[in-house]
Amino acid sequence: MSATAPEAVAGARTGLAGALVVPATLFVAIGLIGPIAILFRYSLNKFIPGQFMVDGLVIENYVKFFTDAYYINVLVRTVRVAVICTLVCLILGFPLAYVLARMQSRFKNLMIMLVVLPLFVGNAVRAAGWMTAFGNRGAFNASLTGLGIIDRPIEIMFTENAVLIGIIAVNLPFMVLTLQSVIEGIPRHVEEAAFSLGANPAAMFTRVLWPLALPGILAGTILTFILAMNAYATPVLLGGPKFQMMGPLVYGQFAQQNNWPFGGAISFILMTATIVLTVAAHLVVQRRYR
Amino acid sequence: MARLAIEHLRKSYGDVTVVDDVTIDIAEGEFLVLLGPSGCGKTTTLRMVAGFVPPSAGKIAIGPRDVTGLPPWKRNCGLVFQSYALFPHMTVAENVAFGLEMRKTPKADRGPRVAEALRLVQLTGFDTRYPRQLSGGQQQRVALARALAMEPDVLLLDEPLSNLDAKLRQEVRVEIRELQRKLGLTTIMVTHDQEEALTMADRLVVMEGGKVRQIGTQRELYEKPADRFVAGFIGRSAFVDGRIEGDGRFRSKGGLEIACAAATGAGPATLALRPERIAVGSDAEGLANRFSARVEHAAYLGALLDIHVSLSEHDRMLLQIPNRQGFVEPRPGETIAIGWAGDAGLIYPLQS
Repeated sequence: MSATAPEAVAGARTGLAGALVVPATLFVAIGLIGPIAILFRYSLNKFIPGQFMVDGLVIENYVKFFTDAYYINVLVRTVRVAVICTLVCLILGFPLAYVLARMQSRFKNLMIMLVVLPLFVGNAVRAAGWMTAFGNRGAFNASLTGLGIIDRPIEIMFTENAVLIGIIAVNLPFMVLTLQSVIEGIPRHVEEAAFSLGANPAAMFTRVLWPLALPGILAGTILTFILAMNAYATPVLLGGPKFQMMGPLVYGQFAQQNNWPFGGAISFILMTATIVLTVAAHLVVQRRYR
Repeated sequence: MARLAIEHLRKSYGDVTVVDDVTIDIAEGEFLVLLGPSGCGKTTTLRMVAGFVPPSAGKIAIGPRDVTGLPPWKRNCGLVFQSYALFPHMTVAENVAFGLEMRKTPKADRGPRVAEALRLVQLTGFDTRYPRQLSGGQQQRVALARALAMEPDVLLLDEPLSNLDAKLRQEVRVEIRELQRKLGLTTIMVTHDQEEALTMADRLVVMEGGKVRQIGTQRELYEKPADRFVAGFIGRSAFVDGRIEGDGRFRSKGGLEIACAAATGAGPATLALRPERIAVGSDAEGLANRFSARVEHAAYLGALLDIHVSLSEHDRMLLQIPNRQGFVEPRPGETIAIGWAGDAGLIYPLQS
């Protein structure tokens, strides 16, 4: 929001800037758009058991998904889990990000490292850890039983709650880091100005901090929402075989059923749902705060 | 508008005391400037008045209200920052209305008060612009209007002009001062710019090392500086180290015998002279102290000439001579006659 116009990229006149864009663009084109195009083509093919994939141009795979309550259910569950995880990450992450952003201690970098620390452990390893904690005789239930707080173990493992906890734990650092960098860019004086004008902390938050942090909130929620929609290891390991989400479903069609056309169709439905929901949510938010 | 009383205010961070026993009484409608080098505690003092820094000890009262323990949003202090600190996502009118909105002023009253505040800072018609569409000077005026619109008891200005270019600074300086006088606003301004402080203030507070060195009007500070720091900080001074040989007699380290009415007693001391009190050439004739001085450096500053001279191996000083027609500045190496009256100097304890 500075008063001066943004400076042109260094080397803009020599054409160097154009050249700088090429490697990443090529990588994205070859590594992402190519496979997606192929996948889309596959999703229009026919699947005949025993014959693997038969070339065709049909929408029966999409029809199959949207006419079967089981698959609709998986989609709804995935969206629900992703929305809850994103909201919880935002609610838990904002205060933490704010404190980190405003911290002036020399331990600040250490604190940021601590936030990132969970990402040092891979998804599968972490989920395995949660499994030992959440089991009926796991650390969590054993402690509560031992303390006499409960007499029968609480069912956590292989429930939606286990999956929610697992995904939130993975996604929280992404939310915190995104918010922190944006909040750091909001001058402290702007908050102080609001206070001096009579705004209490709640009013300062809703009228000044939140709207100014909105770009970070949008970026953070996009990131965590996409990650949650596409979660794989956590739902498989913590949700168990009966708790299906879209990610594992895609994998199952490709690897276990060998049904590439249907797998491709599910992939596309997942991708489209993610994009549509993300865009829709942000249109709503932006309309409210502009 | 109200009187503001700061009593024995202190702020320490661990072992470091940044504001030390500051007591200032500001009359209703007075424009007080806190002046000092960076790190002198002036900004911390202002932030304690605003409520952003909790004092370690002391009391702050606005009118009859003791506000020492109150959060900033209950103090009713209008604040203007060096960085303007406008809300970038709000229009000019929304920025100015913010304080009224927070005070639950009825919507119908807000419009006229916003318009009045913008009229005061000569920004009528800028209502729907966003801060990023304004120049620095205009942004600072919006910040001022925003602070004025809520009708504060006290106006606090934190280096409000430092981000503006030199010419604009002079204009806004006069505008703020006129506005302050017209509205009778009790005001504290923090600045490190001496000229700014001298042109705007009713009274000045010179701070250094967390302590108040002197409180007074421009004339008091310039003509009767309380200590050597103030003598060197407000305007310029030539300092001559030496010792008092007896009443009225001062002997410099370089061996110059100087007649000085302010010298009493005996012992090591520093003599402070205002550069413009030192006369040159024929003007020096008939003065109590006359010396020949070697010119080391002469600078042509337009209205003034700065001349650095040495009187002996240990005694150097700065002279400022008005640039009269036909006056040719002396060249380095030349010897000139200088002199000053016996009542021109002030005596301070020698600083080791």
